Amino acid sequence: MEEPLNEQLPPEDSVAAPASAPVHSAQVQQDDGRELLALMIGVAGWAVPGLGHALQKMWGRALAVFLAVGALVMLGAGMRGNLFTSRGEDAFATLGYLADLGAGAFYWVARSVETAGPDVSHSAGDYGTRFLATAGVLNLLAALHAYEAARGRKA
Amino acid sequence: MNVPLTHLQSMLLFALIISLAFGTLGRRRPIERLKYAAWSFFLFVIVGVAIGWLMYPFSR
Repeated sequence: MEEPLNEQLPPEDSVAAPASAPVHSAQVQQDDGRELLALMIGVAGWAVPGLGHALQKMWGRALAVFLAVGALVMLGAGMRGNLFTSRGEDAFATLGYLADLGAGAFYWVARSVETAGPDVSHSAGDYGTRFLATAGVLNLLAALHAYEAARGRKA
Repeated sequence: MNVPLTHLQSMLLFALIISLAFGTLGRRRPIERLKYAAWSFFLFVIVGVAIGWLMYPFSR
């Protein structure tokens, strides 16, 4: 299934005819509205993995992002990876928190799943930490992709 | 919940999930997605194993 391409070209008459002031103003307003909508889609994509694409009817991508981020979070939490909190003691913990937070709502899902707390004394826990961070970064990448697609950039 | 995975299983699972996501996000046509995902998976695994062997002399 080929995903829709949200690429809207400007109407031909706007290029051929000299733009008058009202037309230009309407164009600017339209661009602002579109930018705001794209921003909201990007935020939605961050908050719920895949939602940014689902809102643009890119079902395949929405499902792939949701499942990939969800699988990484569940595996990471199941391996008892370290889920960083906002009370980080150093820069690395803060960066880890930002990466984990990238998973949006799944950050709190991971917190609720990982009831026993992290255990990085074994390699599995260390890998779990990477799984959780990767889930967040992948979701941020997907949200950015959804934002760019909503702006009309080729995606 | 406890997920007991070996090093290799973790690496393969990680590579598979990320490759599928990359393929779906990066390409539009199904066949292109599949090719891209397969190529990404192959590179993830090959580079992972290669780095593992490069670190081997320092592990003891």
